[in-house]
Amino acid sequence: MRPRRTAAALAALGLGVVLLWWAWGDAPQAAAAPTAAAPAPEPAPVAHAAAPTPSARAPDRSAARDLWKQRLERARRTLDSYREATRYPHESRPLAEHPDQVRPFEPVATERPLREPGGPAIEGLTLRTTQERVYSQGDESVLFTVAAIDGEGHTLPLQVPRAMAHEGATGARPSRIAPVMVQFTDDGRGGDTAAGDNVLSFRLQPTRDGFAELDGLIRVELALQSGEHPGYASFDVIHSPAAPAIWGATPREAVEAGSLNLYLPAQVLQPGRYVVAGRVDDADGRPVALLNFNDDLGVGPTEFKLQLFGKLLRDTQPAFPLVLRDVEAFLLKPDTFPDRSLMPRRAGTVYRTKAYPLVAFSAAEWSSEERNRYLTEYGKDVKEAEDHLKDLGSGP
Amino acid sequence: MAKRILRGVSWFVLFAAGFLALAHATNYSLWINGRTGGGQLGNHADFSYWGPATTNAGVNKKSVNWDGYNHVSDQNYLVRDALDCYCTGQNWCYIAVHSAGDLQIGYSLALYGGTSRMVKNASPNGQGQCGNLNGSSQTGWNIKWVDAGGGAAGGSELADAGDWALDEPLVADLKTTTARAMYDHSSTRATWFNMYAGASGTVYSFVLPGQDDEAIAYHSSGGVSGSGNGSFCNPSDWFCNDLTTGTAKNEGGRAKWGFHTVAFRDSSESYNHYTSGNWAGITSRVRADMEANAR
Repeated sequence: MRPRRTAAALAALGLGVVLLWWAWGDAPQAAAAPTAAAPAPEPAPVAHAAAPTPSARAPDRSAARDLWKQRLERARRTLDSYREATRYPHESRPLAEHPDQVRPFEPVATERPLREPGGPAIEGLTLRTTQERVYSQGDESVLFTVAAIDGEGHTLPLQVPRAMAHEGATGARPSRIAPVMVQFTDDGRGGDTAAGDNVLSFRLQPTRDGFAELDGLIRVELALQSGEHPGYASFDVIHSPAAPAIWGATPREAVEAGSLNLYLPAQVLQPGRYVVAGRVDDADGRPVALLNFNDDLGVGPTEFKLQLFGKLLRDTQPAFPLVLRDVEAFLLKPDTFPDRSLMPRRAGTVYRTKAYPLVAFSAAEWSSEERNRYLTEYGKDVKEAEDHLKDLGSGP
Repeated sequence: MAKRILRGVSWFVLFAAGFLALAHATNYSLWINGRTGGGQLGNHADFSYWGPATTNAGVNKKSVNWDGYNHVSDQNYLVRDALDCYCTGQNWCYIAVHSAGDLQIGYSLALYGGTSRMVKNASPNGQGQCGNLNGSSQTGWNIKWVDAGGGAAGGSELADAGDWALDEPLVADLKTTTARAMYDHSSTRATWFNMYAGASGTVYSFVLPGQDDEAIAYHSSGGVSGSGNGSFCNPSDWFCNDLTTGTAKNEGGRAKWGFHTVAFRDSSESYNHYTSGNWAGITSRVRADMEANAR
């Protein structure tokens, strides 16, 4: 008796599931849209928006064909570019793909009109600024420069009558640290490259300038004056007082599973997610790769593993030995500001590898569950568009 | 007896719905707002930042509301929660963003896009968080592509020059130097960012370099790489480098961020930055693409 009742229940269940599936799958898009003003009850999700059908009239059919052609082109482009890009893992990329990351420690330069907030701009009068870094750590310092430029590109006399460093962008919260008056100078000292060149400089050293304990944003604000024209500038630096981990002495390398892995030793003081990035050039100085590490670590000795993926080496054919340079690392702190505690940056050459024949490395593409998942889904999108176009035919 | 049958049918429907939720892949359209916010945090049905919630804006649309005032990093959990809810397991997402929403999704993908995510059940609670589906996890999220209207991932000179409220935490993030240093903008896990760049701005044209939509200049809304700002225009302007459409390098040689393509350049200078409570401005172009292709 029990098996028959179970079988009947399963049959009913199966029939019900099929009916529900059919009803759900054909539900038009409009059914998904809330009919009342927000906030509205969550509508039941629909599987797909209603698609144009082959039985549509000729003009509709032509429009539908055009739409599906566009969708097919987009789906193919998405699939092909994803497949191409993910021959290498996301953590081991050609450096050329990341134009911002090639020279990460160069000063940031900007240009904008010399003016006060809300004030007018003067035709041909530009404020040029540089900032050595946006994120600082411990005893690191940050050099700022300002210069007024005329329409011909000449620097003009510029004064900084008042400049102040303070904790910035605190919202409704009062600052925890008293503001500090600072001086921009043009005397060729303290970071100013040349005396009397009309480029004024100031080097902020948070630990020296009263911000040693600040884990937050330091803003340097300047009142400017060029001739009769007043202006304003501000620089923001996000400062971490203490390093969350200490770099170890000697990196090492190993050829493992067809890739060249570089290991940077460190002593982790604060557990959490560490984000590390390093650049690799070949022996001729040609940029090769951007390597990333992003993983959770506990307290204690560790190694940041930076993988030079085998196929990337095979495809780019670098001249050995390779040079790992310009490494930056921080502890990522979720859902807070600042969102990172920096380790000291390692500018310049950090490690030089041994020489290897290219055949030491695997030519196999990256393989992972993530890649398969994406290729499968993007492939489905291509097939769906192809099927629709087939159904719509080539006639009017 | 009738009661028993009714109860049985109820249980059956619940069971079948659960079964379908487990087995059936569903696509969602996630909308991430920019500065000022306005939607209730965690309420994915509240589209008050964008416009009428009845407007078609892609399949199964959800509003990923954050406050548009505090730092991107402070508020990013709301974005990650929504991505976990709707973009894991069998479910896939189309993402549409406006202004600083571009920073939010770029930040999420660059810093958390390769982390382990629990597969969720797409049924959020009042805080916009979903329960685990079956205890499984996956690497990253399932995202088909991102549409960015007036994208502020490259910052705005209105934040640089003190024209926006200086004390506002988000304004600090929107300084061009800070926005561009916050994360590697080319690190999208090979997910395309389709950039929609408006150019009808006039009020702040003397502050925003090149073409702008009254809040964001082309160097940002067009996804132009670099640590600082730059001046990019429509081809009709002979005295300024062109923002190219597609993925090509811009006139003057500056590349776009990786996996960023200019899907729309406002050559007729018709679109400003503002949604105006009615899916307006450059968002109208994004919405049209979502309606047509997020399905």
